[in-house]
Amino acid sequence: MALPNRVLPGFSATLFAQSGAEPTPLDNTELATWADVNAICIEGNALPVEAIPAYGQDDAVANFNVAGARQSDKIPTQAAPTSMTITAAWNPADTQLIAMRNDAYNGTIDRTFVILSTDGQGNFIAYAFNGRVGEFKVDPNPTAETKCTFTVHPRGNQYGWSNNT
Amino acid sequence: MTTQMNVNDYAKAIQWQLSDIISPVPVYANFNRNFATQTEFVTWQLRNVHQEVYTGIYQSNKGIDRPIFQMSVFSSSMEKGFQIANDILQALHGYSGIFGNPSGVNFPISKADVVWLYNGYDNEINLFNIFMDCTLDIPT
Repeated sequence: MALPNRVLPGFSATLFAQSGAEPTPLDNTELATWADVNAICIEGNALPVEAIPAYGQDDAVANFNVAGARQSDKIPTQAAPTSMTITAAWNPADTQLIAMRNDAYNGTIDRTFVILSTDGQGNFIAYAFNGRVGEFKVDPNPTAETKCTFTVHPRGNQYGWSNNT
Repeated sequence: MTTQMNVNDYAKAIQWQLSDIISPVPVYANFNRNFATQTEFVTWQLRNVHQEVYTGIYQSNKGIDRPIFQMSVFSSSMEKGFQIANDILQALHGYSGIFGNPSGVNFPISKADVVWLYNGYDNEINLFNIFMDCTLDIPT
C-alpha cells in the first residue's frame, strides 16, 4: 500500500495516545518511523474523540521596519505548535480518557499522540507528536451524552510524519 | 467507545412499558385492527433512532442514542383519553431507571422526557385522540 494519493475526508482521522501512566515518548527518529508509530495505532490506544481539531503550527512573525524602504519586512520566527482542544464522549471507565485526566492533573507527563488518517483503502498517513495534556473538563450537557474536553499541548520540535508505504 | 443499541429491544421494551402503565387498556404498535370495537387503546411508533457517529476508523466511536417514540391515545370519551394520557405522563415524564420488562427485555434509561403534542377528534373513526412524544436517553 502507498501513501494515500487523494484528498482525505476529515472524518477518517483517528487519534491514538500511548497507554500507561508514565509512557516513554518516541524520539524524533521514531516519531517519523512508520513501524514505531504504527505500534501505537491499536484499538486499545484509540481516544473516542468526536472530531480531530486543526493541528500543526501557529503563526509567529517579526515585523521589521527598514529605514527608507517603502515596505517593511515580515520574518517567520519561533512558531509554537498548535494546541488541540479535543472533545470526547465521556465514559468514566475508558482507560485512555482516564490517562488524559491523570496527565492533566499531573501536567508534566510527556506522551506520544498519533493522528492517523486513511483513504479507507488500507493507505494510512500518520502525524505523530509528543505532548502534554491540560484543561480536562467534563460537560454533562442535558441534550446529549456527557462530554469531556481536554487540551493537548504539543512539545516543540517533537513531531514526525510517516506512512505505510 | 460504545455499542450500537438493538432497535428490536427498543420495540419490546416500549410495548411492555406502555402496557404496564395503562393496563388493562390495550397497546399496539402502529395500528389497531379492532379500532371499531375497542373504546380505548394506545398505539406507538418509534423514530429518530440515532447514535451520533464520531471520527476515525473504529465503528464503535459513537455517542448515545436518544430515540423518540410517539404515543397515540384513542378513546371514545375525551375524559378517559385525558386520564390515560395523564397516567402515561405521571409514569414516564422524568423517569430514570429500568425501561421494559424487568424479567424480560429491558435496558436502563437515564431519562424519559414526554412532550404532549396535541389532542383532537377523528370524525372518520369517531374517536378522540391525543398525541405525545417520549424521548429516551439511553446510556451505552
